[in-house]
Amino acid sequence: MTSTVETLRQRVNKALRSQKPETVTVLSCLLAVEDELGYVPRQAAEEVARFTGSTVNDVWGVASFYTNFRFQPPGRHRVEVCWGPSCHIRGVMPVIQRALQDLGLSGEGTTGDNAVTLRYNTCLGACANAPVISVDHRLMGRITPEQASQVLSGLKSTEEPSHGP
Amino acid sequence: MADQRITITIDGVEVEARLGQTVLEAATEAGIYIPYLCYHPGMKPFAACRMCVVEVENGRGCPAACTLPVADGMVVSNNSNQVQSLRRSVMEMLIADHPHGCLTCHRVDLCGPQDLCLRHVSVNDRCVTCPKNERCELKDTVRFLGMSLESPLDYKYRDLPVETGDPFYDRDYNLCIVCGRCVRVCEEVRGDNAITFTERAGQALVGTSLGSSLLESGCEFCGACLDVCPVGALVESDHKWEKAQRLERTICPHCPVGCQLNLEVNGSGRLIRSVPELNSPANMGQACFKGKFGLNFVNHKDRLKTPLIRRDGVLEKASWDQALDYIAERLQPYRGPSFAMLTAPDSANEEHYLAQKFARVVMGSNNVNHTSNTQPAAVLALKDALGHAAATNPIWQLKDANCILVLNANLTEEHNVVGVPIKQAVNNGAKLIVIDPREVELTRYAHLWLRPRPGTELLVLGAIIKELLYQGFERRDWLYENCDGLETLRGAMTSSDIDAAAEESGVSHDLIHQAARMYGPTEPAAILYGLDNVPEELHEDCVRALATLALLTGNLGKPSAGIYPLRPGANSQGAWDVGCAPNLLPGYAALSDDDARRSLEEAWGCRIAREPGAGLQQVFEDARSGLVRAMFLVGDAPDLDNRDSGYALESLKSLEFLVVQDTFLGPAAEQAHVVLPRATFAEKAGSFTNLERRIQTLRPAISMKRGEARSERWAISRLARRMNAKGFDFSSAAAVMEEIARVTPIYGGVSLERLEAEGRLVFRPDVSNPLPTQVLYSDKEYRGIQWPCPTADSKGVEVLYSEGLRARIPEADFKTGRVEDGGSHPLLFAPGRVLLQSDREMTVEKGKANRLRREELIELNRDDAEAFGVDEGDMVEVQANGAAYRGRAVFRDDIQRGVVASTLLFGQLMVELEAAPAPNPMARVPGLKVTGARLVKAPG
Repeated sequence: MTSTVETLRQRVNKALRSQKPETVTVLSCLLAVEDELGYVPRQAAEEVARFTGSTVNDVWGVASFYTNFRFQPPGRHRVEVCWGPSCHIRGVMPVIQRALQDLGLSGEGTTGDNAVTLRYNTCLGACANAPVISVDHRLMGRITPEQASQVLSGLKSTEEPSHGP
Repeated sequence: MADQRITITIDGVEVEARLGQTVLEAATEAGIYIPYLCYHPGMKPFAACRMCVVEVENGRGCPAACTLPVADGMVVSNNSNQVQSLRRSVMEMLIADHPHGCLTCHRVDLCGPQDLCLRHVSVNDRCVTCPKNERCELKDTVRFLGMSLESPLDYKYRDLPVETGDPFYDRDYNLCIVCGRCVRVCEEVRGDNAITFTERAGQALVGTSLGSSLLESGCEFCGACLDVCPVGALVESDHKWEKAQRLERTICPHCPVGCQLNLEVNGSGRLIRSVPELNSPANMGQACFKGKFGLNFVNHKDRLKTPLIRRDGVLEKASWDQALDYIAERLQPYRGPSFAMLTAPDSANEEHYLAQKFARVVMGSNNVNHTSNTQPAAVLALKDALGHAAATNPIWQLKDANCILVLNANLTEEHNVVGVPIKQAVNNGAKLIVIDPREVELTRYAHLWLRPRPGTELLVLGAIIKELLYQGFERRDWLYENCDGLETLRGAMTSSDIDAAAEESGVSHDLIHQAARMYGPTEPAAILYGLDNVPEELHEDCVRALATLALLTGNLGKPSAGIYPLRPGANSQGAWDVGCAPNLLPGYAALSDDDARRSLEEAWGCRIAREPGAGLQQVFEDARSGLVRAMFLVGDAPDLDNRDSGYALESLKSLEFLVVQDTFLGPAAEQAHVVLPRATFAEKAGSFTNLERRIQTLRPAISMKRGEARSERWAISRLARRMNAKGFDFSSAAAVMEEIARVTPIYGGVSLERLEAEGRLVFRPDVSNPLPTQVLYSDKEYRGIQWPCPTADSKGVEVLYSEGLRARIPEADFKTGRVEDGGSHPLLFAPGRVLLQSDREMTVEKGKANRLRREELIELNRDDAEAFGVDEGDMVEVQANGAAYRGRAVFRDDIQRGVVASTLLFGQLMVELEAAPAPNPMARVPGLKVTGARLVKAPG
């Protein structure tokens, strides 16, 4: 057993024990883990099972039901592209295509070098500025494919998010 | 109210129903087929598949019949156009994911059972690529709905790899219709949660956490999910593609739960599958890895086919006549106590009876026993304390107990199905107390796990009793009516000291206090004990202490309470009942009881020696010392080499004449002078008595091909006649049972004919063609008879002592037993085994079959570790019982000083069993024996 795994389990357990809601469920535990680690690794699912007195399979049943949980570590940067109706009408599809092309992805996912995680979003809540993308939780409106490409290439070279969490 | 009869009308037919039933249940009972896919008898309705939707007059919409409670005068339509078209559109969506060429093939009416057609459908859809071809429930439903060929929906094959790596069964989720029966049976019935629904909506499927193998997901390989799967998604990997031509209901030979199994037999008379019977009071449709996947041995090519006689040191083939003549001649000089007869754990009642009659009448010896009689004191102490040497209540009443105390029993492997109602009870809110130094499956469910130092179990029981009295939990009114000896017990307990017991056993006073508070006031409460790890000198007192607990709290003679001894051997109970024991005659009459002896002497026309014969251990010692010189040993006796590390086998070498009747040429047979081929459980008639006293019939399912294996009943009665004995002319097992009933009062009203005739017809929906697969296995319910059943009009007794009890609180001596052998092995090793252990890293090597590789932990006490110079995290090796267990040391507070423990994963056992070279490895599942051990630091 390597020490990193132990730390991982320890981190998970700490997160599980310091949950705020009074009712602790498998779901609240998974959210706590996701908040702590940004994803739900196998070890975390096991710890959640122990913590809630269920089995890993129960935990997996809940975790895999919700599309918001991820099971791979996220990329260093998180890019969300809105493909809601407004953005769709205002031409987000070329932006998405360009982004996928630049990142070498075929759909939602994380680049091989773990630099960027791309997700689609149904509405980022800034329809007036459509099309909108969010880079590390910072919104960028009226974006063109070229601007998107520029932003993405900038991300590949920076190590950590340049803006808040 | 539940029994109140009402009438409902289904499609114009008046049907009687009971209040509380659902429409689906009422219809099925009345023989009306309402199609269903997610419902399964024995599980809560789920109403997910929407196949059982019906119309109700003056009702709204189309409710699902599986969740629709019946109401008086209800008028239900099962066949209207609206209902059928609704069902068809649901089915269209289902088969949009499910290969269905076989279901809607236009040749389906022309197709015979053996026809193969490869032309009309695409490759993935061919009927021959589905292992459940012709026995799939989807087929019944589609045909009932009269589905057309054309579906408006696009069909998409999932194209998932078939999971074939796990032991015993394959999972092909391309065929899954996500009815959820498997997930629900695993959760609701078995309490394992080894599988789950994954993802959602169109992606939803069944699987394990992160797609892990079943070995690491907590699966106990009971096969319950296979039995409920309506389609070909879950199937046994053995004989996967074969279809049954015949079904025969019989009893599992692996443990005393007495599960009724339906054996599926193919066209060439081979056993291909076993499916536990739903309408069986002992197992309620459940089985375990042994009963489900461990019966292949009956087909094994290495089975003994003819008798063998040793000539010039070599075993040579012989005919039955030659062999029996030879035995009859050779046995002559050993009449009297120099002869011993041992029957097998899975010998039928009739065979146990004949064996003891042969030994006593023909050979004049009381040295007769069954090889699973390893805990005689535990049986007799219960008889002395309460009156009967058997479990007081039925197994499935445990489901409704509110408190269950389990002392030293490893249910998962040894009495698996008993664990099912216990887990259900816990899931329903019952309290579970486990007293065991080993970590077993049940400890995961336990509210209190008392982990005494091995050998101090009795001290803990004593402390609980004292605490219980101190807290005033004894039921004085009940005791006054039913029981003497309370004051004596109080007097005896004054000198005992809870703190001293806590100190010596390592179980804290607080835990003892909690256990007493949990067991004492909770009604009804049941007790189960295995004692396989408690030192033998404590057995008697342990049982007395447990009986005291049950008596003090009045937990006897009422439903869901009582005491259950869990003994090894499929038919140990029957062996005792019919007198196949060295110290007892049929019906538990003591040899020293002159009246009983005389009446038997009269019945059998012989003299019976008054002195009891030798017990199991003693017989082998006598063989060594020359007191026993000839032996007739029946069966593959796992205990002979498992428990005593070969002591018994070694003793056989000293015998002058040894006859072994066995299915395979095992280690005992190899030493024999004559070997007789033995018929298996699947080939013989007779009866077993399970641990809840239920006498159930065995029915021959197969007959041996190219071989002459015979039951011991056949062999013994012919041998006796050759030795000119009278009273052995039995034409059938039923004839033997007739005699048993005559001489055994508790079996007085039992006959095999009666057991057969009392089968209750369970209604089967009358859909002439095709026969619905759902109810293929449930045409008759055989409840057996629970003894005592003294007369033909007695129905047997479900709960012992319910007519009142007059007992005396037994006096137990609360002492410590000795387990450690000191010297070179100063420590005690307590191996455990659990289904699920996700707290450590594990890798599964995927290959043709999965292989587990994981880090083992050796658990020990901090103080011991210091004394051995071991740090937490060091690699250490425990040497115990001739084996070495390596692992990383971890400190645990609940491990007593002088004890080391390690918990093995059940999945590993499964992998080993599947790969085991022995023809019947399930009969030799290694026990979890606490043994002396020593600890060394391992390099690296």
